[in-house]
Amino acid sequence: MFLINCPFCGEREQSEFKAGGEAHIVRPKQPTELSDDEWAEYLFMRKNIKGIQFERWNHAHGCRKWFNMVRDTSNDQIKAVYKMGEKPPVK
Amino acid sequence: MLNYNQPIKEEKSYQGLQIGEINPIMKLIIRGKKREFLSAAGKSLDMVLPTKANTSTQSEKLTALWLSPDEWMIFSNDVVKKNTNSYETEILLNKNISKLNLGAVVDVTDQYVRITLKGDKIYDLFETGSPFNFNEFRNKIGSVTQTIIAKIDVVIHNKNQNEVNLFVRRSFSKHLFSWMNDSASRL
Repeated sequence: MFLINCPFCGEREQSEFKAGGEAHIVRPKQPTELSDDEWAEYLFMRKNIKGIQFERWNHAHGCRKWFNMVRDTSNDQIKAVYKMGEKPPVK
Repeated sequence: MLNYNQPIKEEKSYQGLQIGEINPIMKLIIRGKKREFLSAAGKSLDMVLPTKANTSTQSEKLTALWLSPDEWMIFSNDVVKKNTNSYETEILLNKNISKLNLGAVVDVTDQYVRITLKGDKIYDLFETGSPFNFNEFRNKIGSVTQTIIAKIDVVIHNKNQNEVNLFVRRSFSKHLFSWMNDSASRL
């Protein structure tokens, strides 16, 4: 259990949120030109690293807005929270 | 408000706590992002929509609750007539917002149940089933929050010192009311 600072509502408990998987995955510009393997790579393959990960989260039981989060998956430390469309503040 | 079946038929009293439903109350959800939307809503409602997170504004007849940066709940302060489900405010908002494509207006009168809680034990009750930290909320009159109580989504509005409005979806209202009574009996 940890607290998440929703960029719209403020600090709330994790149980109010839903994780939405890896962030900043760009949709291929010409999907029809991709091979099945390349398309599957885009559609299904996600990083699942131990360490700093960029993720999408949704404040499902609050404002219902999506936002991005930088989280250390090894200790659940949140490095940054930023709105959709914004650039990540940490690398 | 025709053929309205009240889901919570009784009022319950405990030491330092009274719980009951207030109905019928007009409830609307309005959504929009544009600046024109905010001014059209302000003109139609004769009040300013709260733009600061977790706050509310009030006029003589209506209260507006901030739900998200582009979503507000409007409800009537007083009970409305039982023999009609057409509301002047809704008609005005439809005319000035929906028809001009500035945003959306949805009548949620029958979707949400308004429960009022009174007394000095309100937050003791909430703390038995909610992950939200009510320390700041309880001291700021007009505060609004959307959170979970007993795993049920609720909107809570700090109306006055020791008086709170709680909005819950109708299908969950009976269960929440029964859960609150159970919890209140053990405070």
